[in-house]
Amino acid sequence: MSWESIIPNVLAGDSQSLASTAPAAAMDNEQFAAFYARSARSLWAYLARVSRDPGLADDLTQEAYVRFLCAAHPQDGEVAARRYLFKIATNLLRDHWRRPQSSSIDELPEHIFAATSGETQAESVAMLGPAMAQMRPRDRQLLWLAYAEGYSHHEIAQITGLASASIRLLLFRARRKMARLLRSGGQA
Amino acid sequence: MSLFTCARERETSDLLHKGHWPQACPDDLRAHVASCRSCSDLVLITESLQASRRLTAELPRLEPAGAIWWRAQLRRRNAAIEKVSRPILGAQIFALTMTLVVTAAIAVWQIPNWSAWFADLPGTLHLDALFPSSVPKNGILWIIVPVLATIALLSGIVVYLASEKQFDD
Repeated sequence: MSWESIIPNVLAGDSQSLASTAPAAAMDNEQFAAFYARSARSLWAYLARVSRDPGLADDLTQEAYVRFLCAAHPQDGEVAARRYLFKIATNLLRDHWRRPQSSSIDELPEHIFAATSGETQAESVAMLGPAMAQMRPRDRQLLWLAYAEGYSHHEIAQITGLASASIRLLLFRARRKMARLLRSGGQA
Repeated sequence: MSLFTCARERETSDLLHKGHWPQACPDDLRAHVASCRSCSDLVLITESLQASRRLTAELPRLEPAGAIWWRAQLRRRNAAIEKVSRPILGAQIFALTMTLVVTAAIAVWQIPNWSAWFADLPGTLHLDALFPSSVPKNGILWIIVPVLATIALLSGIVVYLASEKQFDD
């Protein structure tokens, strides 16, 4: 018995039949390309800054989009789709951190970011790398989502899976520590 | 820990996220930020992270959207095939189990007839011609049985490896 007799056109990679197997993924190729162009860089920046590993950010960005396309993502606009994408990326990061590592993620080099934060940038930006390096991954995540991406506490709770009430306290602590580090030039 | 948040923090945050800070910011708010620890922390961190976001977003060499799109299609196709194959595998296991049960039942029922037929097998196939006459008739049977069992085992391994290769392809 061949698979093609069971699922017509499935082996031909026909997008029409594929859409019928996953009806929630209503985004077509062109719509996805436009969404990808608008969101991929900020997603990569989030992953790269939080993980401090550009290679990992490359991998997780691709994986996040593949999962996004395969999943029943929200159909109520780009803002919700984008938030859902960040949620997938956050879960991927968490899975990565849970796996046994040969080296700690905090030991990874910051030079790739530091190289771009040169003379033309404000002093605080140049200090960001060392300061971020001293923050815990979860704090980096919260700070990035709140202040770089501009998400509300409620949205951050949806993305990270943390309780909305704890976001406020965690963010308050992380912000205070980060400000202290930035003011002291990244020294604890 | 006191969870101090300034009353003007939201206003400052809005200006920062809209890109209105500091040019389009009222003078009184600017003066407030200079004197308020919470708001100055907010401005410092938001400006640093937003600048970092702009810089970092320029770095990646992103894979083309089309490649990701087709990878997702492939994964969905594989998931669909796996979904369909699950009940078929169950049916195959059921059929195999039933076949074994029926075979075992027939074997138990017919075992007296088969044992007589099996004892005559070397004579029926004239296998005794292959062995020296010094080997007793029952001894031939003890040679044939392991040979047949080995052939059956090797056939099973060949079929298994062939099916594995087919699934890999």
